[in-house]
Amino acid sequence: MVSVFLILGLISLGGMVYAGAPAKVIIGHPACLSGKYAKAGEQALGGIKACVKWVNEVYGGVKIGGKKVPLEYKYYDCESKKEVVTSLIERLITVDKVNVVFAPYSSGLTLSGAPVAEKYGMLYMDHGGASDRIFQQGFKYIVQTIGPGTRYHVGTLDMIHKVDPKAKRVALAYEDSEFARMVMRGAEEHAKKLGFKIVFKRTYPKGVTDLTPLLSDLKAAKPDFILGGGHFEDGQLFNRQMADLDINVKALSLIAAATLPAFYEALGNLAEGVMGPSHWEYGVKYSPEVARKEGLKWIGPTQDEFVKLFKEALGKDIMPDYHAAEAGAQVLAYVLAVEEANSIDPTKVRAALNTLKFMSFYGGWDVNETGKQVGHSMVDMQWQGGKRVIVWPPEAATGKLYYPMPTFAEKAKGKVAVPK
Amino acid sequence: MKGSKYLPIIPVYIGYLVLFLIARGMPGMWQLMAMLVFYCAVGQAFNIFFGMTGYVNFGYVAFLALGVYGMALAIHYFHQFSWLGLGIVIIGLLLAMVMAGLLSLVVGAVALRLGGAYFAIATIGVNEGFRYLIEGAKIWGGSEGIIFSKQMTEAFGREMANRLSTLWADISVLLIAAVAALITLYFIKGKIGYALMALREDEGAAKVMGINVTKYKLIAFVTSALLAGLIGAMAWGLKLTYVFPPEVFDISYTVEAIVIVMLGGAGTLLGPVVGGLLYGLAKYWLTVILPGFQLLIFAPIIIVIVVAFPEGVVGVLKRRVKGTALEPFIL
Amino acid sequence: MIWNQLAGNLTQGLILGGVYGMATMGLSLIFGVLRVVNVGHGAFVMVGAFVAFWLFTALGLTPIAAIPAALVVGMALGFLFFYSVMRRLVGAPELTSLLATFAMGIILEEVVKLIFGTEYRGYNWDVGRVDLSVTVLPWAKIYAFLGSVAIAVLLYLWFNKTRAGTAVRSVVEDSEGARVCGVNVGWIYALSFAIGIGLTVASGVLLTMFIPVGINPYMGGPYTLKAFVIAVLGGLASPYGAFFGGLIFGLIENGSYTLFALLPGAEPFALTRFLSFAILLLILLLKPTGLLGAKE
Repeated sequence: MVSVFLILGLISLGGMVYAGAPAKVIIGHPACLSGKYAKAGEQALGGIKACVKWVNEVYGGVKIGGKKVPLEYKYYDCESKKEVVTSLIERLITVDKVNVVFAPYSSGLTLSGAPVAEKYGMLYMDHGGASDRIFQQGFKYIVQTIGPGTRYHVGTLDMIHKVDPKAKRVALAYEDSEFARMVMRGAEEHAKKLGFKIVFKRTYPKGVTDLTPLLSDLKAAKPDFILGGGHFEDGQLFNRQMADLDINVKALSLIAAATLPAFYEALGNLAEGVMGPSHWEYGVKYSPEVARKEGLKWIGPTQDEFVKLFKEALGKDIMPDYHAAEAGAQVLAYVLAVEEANSIDPTKVRAALNTLKFMSFYGGWDVNETGKQVGHSMVDMQWQGGKRVIVWPPEAATGKLYYPMPTFAEKAKGKVAVPK
Repeated sequence: MKGSKYLPIIPVYIGYLVLFLIARGMPGMWQLMAMLVFYCAVGQAFNIFFGMTGYVNFGYVAFLALGVYGMALAIHYFHQFSWLGLGIVIIGLLLAMVMAGLLSLVVGAVALRLGGAYFAIATIGVNEGFRYLIEGAKIWGGSEGIIFSKQMTEAFGREMANRLSTLWADISVLLIAAVAALITLYFIKGKIGYALMALREDEGAAKVMGINVTKYKLIAFVTSALLAGLIGAMAWGLKLTYVFPPEVFDISYTVEAIVIVMLGGAGTLLGPVVGGLLYGLAKYWLTVILPGFQLLIFAPIIIVIVVAFPEGVVGVLKRRVKGTALEPFIL
Repeated sequence: MIWNQLAGNLTQGLILGGVYGMATMGLSLIFGVLRVVNVGHGAFVMVGAFVAFWLFTALGLTPIAAIPAALVVGMALGFLFFYSVMRRLVGAPELTSLLATFAMGIILEEVVKLIFGTEYRGYNWDVGRVDLSVTVLPWAKIYAFLGSVAIAVLLYLWFNKTRAGTAVRSVVEDSEGARVCGVNVGWIYALSFAIGIGLTVASGVLLTMFIPVGINPYMGGPYTLKAFVIAVLGGLASPYGAFFGGLIFGLIENGSYTLFALLPGAEPFALTRFLSFAILLLILLLKPTGLLGAKE
């Protein structure tokens, strides 16, 4: 009699474990495919599709309950609008029955979807919202893959401090938006700590069409180098109008815009020597060997594999930028956490994400208890001879820093910022 | 029969009730309903002024924005007094109405004296000007806006705060839409409706006839603004728990309101409801089946409506039901 | 030192204002003749910017050559939109044409997006710069200013010295009277609309001579708003008023920046924008026909 019960018990136990393995794991995403974040949204889409494909075809699927289960990706277009975000997230959770929601691009939209995700107790992963404030609100299910805004220019200041300790005068000129202000705050704090003198500190509105007045005032402050930026169009404008006004400094670092290929295409030689902090650039040296050296788990495609998968996913011959990379890395983080928790239950996966530390083609990954990303470091890149070269930190560098930046007069004559 | 004056409200309320029941009954429909009701509510509020006078207030979204700010400021400043409980929400609503109302009085006094295109331009000026004032003078958080999620949790407790954002905010918008419908009906059938219709036909003649045109325009304008403030406080404030100036002063919301009202039928009671539902559903399905192409599809549709069906769906419907038993219900 | 900066900013503002003004002339012309407010104004400016970009990067043509090309493209677009849509709206209430032009703007943006993508483009036409002691002016900006003035002068000549121009003026004065005199009013409407759009698209080229980066399908928005302020400043129906309104606007926009920057803790750019809208409202309040407006 006892043995029958024992056998039945074992069978039902096995059944429960078996029932715990779902048929597939679904990622849901209200992506920004049109509207003001369309560009970043498209990149993220490519990155996610690329990594999902890698997980399914190379990795073999997500390992749960002893089985390897396929990963699916369901997305809609939120038009970069907050009220559409909430309805789409609910649809993804209740109709499409996704197991995790990837937040839409931008801090604002990430915030708008958070209450809905919280209500359903759904894991909410943030790859495009860099505002530190998101993680001060007490949301329980949100986890960040993108680095927080306050750290963007910290490395740049370290670099200049090391390379030219005599360059003390820094000008801060940022876009007046949530994200850029965070960067400025972090930069200001760190600059003061390192003993820099802030000779100019101003913001300009989003969508500005002419920075001449601000730059004229900046010129009068005679800075040694400038930190600034916001998003895409203002970065181009900044550089261009500096050239127009013949403002020459030893270094210029702009967030967001400077790292993108379109920057150099639009500015040509004027962009030589301009730098920008980035989460990721093609050319970073993260690899399984580096991971092993740092004692971290490695997962995911190599850089070149990622690029190939990305181009296939979008059907276009464009290079992925960091939006794509961070979204792709988020897929990998999720997969690892699910495997670690051996479950798709959001609470368990969220707990697993807390203790997860790994490295991928995107770099390091580690979050603190509020979900804020602390394991990923920024790199600084510089335009040298029309190519993007990673100049800092030394562990990730692919080339030497060119300092000081050539003057605009020299650039007009064709001088390039290629170190000997 | 005195009661028959209010018959037209029945289809509207039936519509809202059905929406509510579907949303509660079917899984995953709630947020969609919330979005649809938002559009209907905005449409109805906007219609009270635009539908009745034909003037376009391109700065309309500023009233929604002030509504959010009202709620945000209330929560921001009062959240530590958690004994106030839900009273904070009431304060937020009152603040929203006061702020939107004040702005509308100021704008109305200035802009309503102008005609047609000038009015439209003046109102754009107000919208943009106000936004830049907030950002430039760094009041109310400046361009950083206000995030008050945490403060809501501190004031109401986590459970309640979440329920407010995901349930009660939306129900409130539905209630506001219902109230707006009632007010619309009251205006249409009352003295104001008569005066504004005369004004729409021929403003000059109306004045000559002794109708205090400015007074009625102002009443409609302020009412429209007050309702917008309430909607903003609930649908954007309580529901999304943050406010960023560039997002809330976005002119595309005004444009959506215009499309909704024109699609449904400007100046009608049922129009904004029909328009809101059609527009919201169309948008929703387009993002699901054809992501990225919404604007390219909507824009030509606007042109078609404007050129071929300026009276909107309900306008056409009204003509069709003339002389039938349904006539007293469709307004 | 402040005076230096102020002088520098004012100079830049004057030059930019010329381009703004020229950009608004099309808007005012269309309103003056057809009583239509082109809410899609910015989208047409964007088209001009892309014309300049494409001609430079694909065919190596300087922006100066792009100006006539843009005029032609603009007029073609204008005729197209007029005969397909606007013609049917001639008698309709103002709102309908507002919506129609708005929708046209959106269609343009989406089509350009389909062709060029959402990337931010730019080009580099370097012809040197001039160093005035208070500021530095690239020659490209100066050419842009001269181009604006030239077009304004040409428009003036056209209005006053040609038959077509005179016909347009007669229609503005009194369309019924003009019809009685044998003027083909329908054709004049079409022509005015087309020229107005042509001017707007051409101004996009001049704008890129000033700001040759950040070109993308959605760049038009801020320019529509500026154009409204300028048009009202100069008198909504008067193209020349628009030009001078633009100059004044440029001076105020840039000049006030230095002054606002003196206020501690303020955000000068946002305040200059606030100022421009405050001025807009003041003018509407006091003299709606604009500072230089003609009879209404």
